[in-house]
Amino acid sequence: MLERCLGHRRLHKIKRIIRQSKLTVICLVLTFVVLRSNIGAGKFGTPQQDFDEIRDHFYSGRRVEPRRVLEEAQVLTTATADVESGGSVGKVGSSEENNYSTIDISKILVDEGEDEKSDPSKPYSLGPKIHDWDEQRAEWLKTNPNFSNFLGPNKPKVLLVTGSSPKPCENPVGDHYLLKSIKNKIDYCRLHGIEIFYNMALLDAEMAGFWAKLPLIRKLLLSHPEIEFLWWMDSDAMFTDMAFEVPWERYKDHNFVMHGWNEMVYDQKNWIGLNTGSFLLRNCQWSLDILDAWAPMGPKGKVREEAGKILTKALKDRPVFEADDQSAMVYLLATQKDSWGEKVYLESSYYLHGYWGILVDRYEEMIENYHPGLGDHRWPLVTHFVGCKPCGKFGDYPVERCLKQMDRAFNFGDNQILQMYGFTHKSLASRRVKKVRNDTNNPLEVRDELGLLHPSFKAVKLPSAS
Amino acid sequence: MTTPIGPRRRRTQKSSSNLKITILCGIVTILVLRGTIGVNRLPDPNDHRQQELLKEANRIVAEIRSGADLDDEPSRISNTTYSLGPKISNWDKDREIWLNQNPNFPNYVNGKPRILLVTGSQPSPCKNPIGDHYLLKSIKNKIDYCRIHGMEIVYNLAHLDTELSGYWAKLPLLRSLLLAHPEVEWLWWMDSDALFTDMIFEIPVSKYENHNLVIHGYPNLLFNEKSWVALNTGSFLMRNCQWSLDLLDAWAPMGPKGKIREEAGKILTENLKGRPLFEADDQSALIYLLIKEKEDKWIMKKVFIENSYYLHGYWEGIVDRYEEMIEKNRAGFGDERWPFVTHFVGCKPCGSYGDYSVERCLKGMERAFNFADNQVLNLYGYGHRGLLSSKIKRIRNDTSSN
Repeated sequence: MLERCLGHRRLHKIKRIIRQSKLTVICLVLTFVVLRSNIGAGKFGTPQQDFDEIRDHFYSGRRVEPRRVLEEAQVLTTATADVESGGSVGKVGSSEENNYSTIDISKILVDEGEDEKSDPSKPYSLGPKIHDWDEQRAEWLKTNPNFSNFLGPNKPKVLLVTGSSPKPCENPVGDHYLLKSIKNKIDYCRLHGIEIFYNMALLDAEMAGFWAKLPLIRKLLLSHPEIEFLWWMDSDAMFTDMAFEVPWERYKDHNFVMHGWNEMVYDQKNWIGLNTGSFLLRNCQWSLDILDAWAPMGPKGKVREEAGKILTKALKDRPVFEADDQSAMVYLLATQKDSWGEKVYLESSYYLHGYWGILVDRYEEMIENYHPGLGDHRWPLVTHFVGCKPCGKFGDYPVERCLKQMDRAFNFGDNQILQMYGFTHKSLASRRVKKVRNDTNNPLEVRDELGLLHPSFKAVKLPSAS
Repeated sequence: MTTPIGPRRRRTQKSSSNLKITILCGIVTILVLRGTIGVNRLPDPNDHRQQELLKEANRIVAEIRSGADLDDEPSRISNTTYSLGPKISNWDKDREIWLNQNPNFPNYVNGKPRILLVTGSQPSPCKNPIGDHYLLKSIKNKIDYCRIHGMEIVYNLAHLDTELSGYWAKLPLLRSLLLAHPEVEWLWWMDSDALFTDMIFEIPVSKYENHNLVIHGYPNLLFNEKSWVALNTGSFLMRNCQWSLDLLDAWAPMGPKGKIREEAGKILTENLKGRPLFEADDQSALIYLLIKEKEDKWIMKKVFIENSYYLHGYWEGIVDRYEEMIEKNRAGFGDERWPFVTHFVGCKPCGSYGDYSVERCLKGMERAFNFADNQVLNLYGYGHRGLLSSKIKRIRNDTSSN
């Protein structure tokens, strides 16, 4: 019986130990699991990460959450009483089909065909080499006297070229700012007799992104021999001095005008020594040549990546990223000053490009102390929102500052247009306008303050002989 | 020495310890679940920052898009009738004197009258982002046509008169422009939802020497049927003269928002065939004016109702036929063979709801845009890959000579 008891007792003990250790083991497991969920277990991850992994595994393609959040915010704002100020016509759009907030544009657009495949063995070229463009152009102008390249003695025919993507912006208000930007350019160009080309086509898939302007510029120069100067302007640059006329005669011996500083480009090789967001290019053989010399760093992929590394090494302060057209131009000028430098004018006496960061807070001060027509730091010709990228999701600066300042810059420029008609914005932040001049029944007696209604730079050249 | 435990007690102990284990397991499960799904986890710092940025961006975007409500000014209560501005009676003479004094700003350039295209849209972002995108494409389309034909553009984004809001906003705008630009011979109002689809066709202005308003419509619909869609005010030409100022003054009274516009809407619905009941719109008001004043003749004799080409082309009957047109016809006709203007009435992409299926509207607008854009790109040797594609392809090789 003792033996049995002993066995039994031991058995009991063992059982008890097992029982207790069950508890211990369970507690250990519990602790481990709780800790893992909180702190993670290194490469074993946390449960949230596991969850994400599993979800990603099942949902291939981009996570659409951010866009969904933005769409929800927008649906909320439209859910409030939306009385169309025009009522509805017949068929009332209450069905889902007629609701714009649920549409997905990517389902409507159809991208057909394939991109042109370039021959990797051949070096990139913007087009067949042309050697006698000056002669060809002179011939054309002679045979087409109706298309003069000069509108007046010091007034060349200028084409302002800008553009944006043919797809809707990722940011829901991006397209609205593009619209305001083009309206701003339309106003300036109407006052100054400049034509506009708004590009939405990617002419060469290899030169995508900021390089897309090169094939476009070449194509336009060759197609429009009547154009004397081509003025490229980024879509995020706005005119803020409507009265300033570019001093064309200053550039009679130059072919390429950019905002920048000679010391910063040639001596310091600083990557922001000049800006290619707003520049003037004459229509001539020299320009075709410089475009050909500029293009090689552009083709996307390996060429652009490698070129980016070269540029970062060679230029001062340049961060590491693929080659961009601006850095490439700095590099080209700095290394081949003898070939190109003579015909390049780096203009810094007025803001052919004005970095927005140092300008936008001073608008009220400018209004108080100065007047339009100066074009420089006192009243900048162009305010350029570099880095804001309103069409994308995230730029290099806080969204609030960028968008609000773009509104202010737009209104600052728009006020100069509205004053022609006797109006002005209620404030630089407001979309509303107010009358500043009473209507009269003698409208032709009234002169607008800035003389922009019928400015001298728009006057038509009268025929010399009757 | 262990006390002998009775079988029952042993059972109870066993069951109680089983219970303990069960409870413990239960707690474990809850904690584990809480750990994976619940709140009790340290947020990943990067993720947090991303969330913050996104939240901030959304807040700013929502703020911008809601903006100040521009229509919350009180509607007119006073008894005085609305007026676009001080009455002007000598405009033709004053303008002639001005033109004589300013020969550098002639109203005819190279034998063609100076035409100013006027369009516009609301100052705040569209309720739907796709609306702004199509406004952008629409203005690009107009820029292209006007560049080719030597016309200037005014794009209006301001409410010059809060009383004449909505579609009525064009009236004060047109008046301001007529008076500020005596050198302009014709103002051409064009809605933001109208696209040029014939880049070659030019308006035959010589046809309108004796007229001051050119508008698309059908005379029998206007005078016989009194239909509210007899004319379309989405695209019309207005000469810069005294008559036009008088027309604007006669047109405006139904416009002031609030009670006046509501009441006027009722009158219009009563008198015009097919018009639903809603507040007065500028198109119905003009039709009503022309019908009413027909006897007086001062208005009607100067109005040219044009339908030999699509100064306004109703989109529904057009957008499916583009491929057929490309095959059979060519640009320059301006009529049903190759419509001059395709006008997306009722689509309202800038709002939340249109009168037609959104998919049909957007597809139609994209096709019309690309159809027109092809006519511009062709000049440079390119074309869209398809009418719904934004990508382009070469249709002509580059050469080394012009």
